[in-house]
Amino acid sequence: MRKSALVGWLLLAPSLLLLGGLVVFPVLYNVWLSLFDKHAFMPVQAFVGLKHYRYFASDPEFWASFYYGCVYAGVTMVLQLGVGVPAALLLNEGFRGRNLLRGVVLFPYMIPTIVAVILWKWLLNDSYGLVNHMLMSAGLVRAPVAWLGPDYIMGSLIVTSVWQFFPFVVVTYLARLQTIPPELYEAATVDGASAWRRFVHVTLPQTASVLFVIVLLRSIWMFTKFDTVWLMAGDGGVSRYIRTLPVYAYARSFTYLQAGMGAALAVIMFAMLLAATAVYFRLFRSEEVFS
Amino acid sequence: MRRALGLYAAGALLLLGAAFPFLWMLSTALKPSGEIFATPRFVPLHPTLENFSRLFADTSFLVFFRNSAAVAGATVLLTLTVSALGAYGLTRYRFRGRDSVAGLILLTYMFAPIMIIIPFYILVRQLGIVNTRLALVLSYTTFCLPFCLWVLRAFFQSIPLELEEAALVDGAGRGRTVWYVVLPLALPGLIAAAIFTFILAWNDFLFALVLITSDELKTLPVGVNDLFNATIVDWGMIMAAGVMITVPTVGFFVAVQRYLVQGWGAGGVKG
Repeated sequence: MRKSALVGWLLLAPSLLLLGGLVVFPVLYNVWLSLFDKHAFMPVQAFVGLKHYRYFASDPEFWASFYYGCVYAGVTMVLQLGVGVPAALLLNEGFRGRNLLRGVVLFPYMIPTIVAVILWKWLLNDSYGLVNHMLMSAGLVRAPVAWLGPDYIMGSLIVTSVWQFFPFVVVTYLARLQTIPPELYEAATVDGASAWRRFVHVTLPQTASVLFVIVLLRSIWMFTKFDTVWLMAGDGGVSRYIRTLPVYAYARSFTYLQAGMGAALAVIMFAMLLAATAVYFRLFRSEEVFS
Repeated sequence: MRRALGLYAAGALLLLGAAFPFLWMLSTALKPSGEIFATPRFVPLHPTLENFSRLFADTSFLVFFRNSAAVAGATVLLTLTVSALGAYGLTRYRFRGRDSVAGLILLTYMFAPIMIIIPFYILVRQLGIVNTRLALVLSYTTFCLPFCLWVLRAFFQSIPLELEEAALVDGAGRGRTVWYVVLPLALPGLIAAAIFTFILAWNDFLFALVLITSDELKTLPVGVNDLFNATIVDWGMIMAAGVMITVPTVGFFVAVQRYLVQGWGAGGVKG
């Protein structure tokens, strides 16, 4: 081997060692683990083949988690786009204070999840929260609403998550908006196109591929989101109205200490994401807007 | 004119939505408990720091804070070192499979922590480093590496080789050339990678929850969640804790914001 090649590998070695040992190996070990009955930390294990997978196929708790996970990922993704894209369009216009606003908008995304969750739990507190106070002062509701009770906990979780993650959409979409050649808009304006028509005929086609990526990444990240969901309700009480697959996998592994079952859930999640991504690419990638 | 008004109205609405919850947190943290549970008002009537002093005196908050700072600091140092070495190897040395290695590294970025936390935990137990800061530093470094390697690779690629060759011809060794020529030119990339790493390590909840069991080693997110779950919620104190956790992130962020924008452009941020 040439000396320079050897040095190249040596420089990469620490990175490869860490990624190989702490990501690639655990991923493979996880698949193997899902075929065993294994206690989370006692040295007890027995090969059971596909038993865990068969169990989950008819486990109502699994299907409920799948359902809540899809609702959570789907609704928060759509709302993040609904808030993030208009916000990015606004921040692409010229007005005083724009740079300050571009910075401030990022804050919800930069802070620890625990802060976002305690903040919204305080705002939504049934007896002393600001939201109930304002709704009652405005006469919109007569009695305080239990935002963190069974009926509204999913809604509260969605509001918290959208607030926390929409800045990602803003930043990514804005980065692409800034690269659209101004001539395209000038030409459209000369042709007498309204602001709406300019958006539909210039902005949307130009940003279609970044929207494609945003939708893909946000859906995957929301579907695998653990901390926001877990911190919102923990593992007892109303948590069963928002229990998504990551929380279910955590509970199986570290509450019931059934590491094999938890590993199987991780494999199932991964397979679902892979299948959904393949379908998504097939549906949208081939369309000419992306060519 | 109507257009300008519309822009400013929309801007104000966005500002309110993004910033108001923080301001409300600060306002609550500065209120005496009587005001917190009275009719809500934005500016405290009798602002006080008693929530903060209770937080520091009666809880382990400062221990959590120190742990978080130590873990995040060590993670940033380790990640920058490892990824700068790796990125330099990827851009300055030719070897077979170089580009496929770079691609594979990016692929590892696709695994969400929740999907490998179980084998990860078992592995860390077998290595005998469960319930240590080292376990946290190693896990955060691993999860930051793909992003940092790619950002630094992009920055190193943009540095003209001639500059390095000139330094080498002048007799500076490889090490001094990298230190005095390459790294300063890649500074925006290093800063973006450092911020990304710091924020991930400072914010993480899952690894800290699973890998750390003793109170004296807990980091802020888990520690504050424990405070929150203990008995009756002391809202003033919890909001004071929220303010204290947010300050370093926001301060760090404001100080180097212009570098960060370049980093976001170079690879995006996960979460």
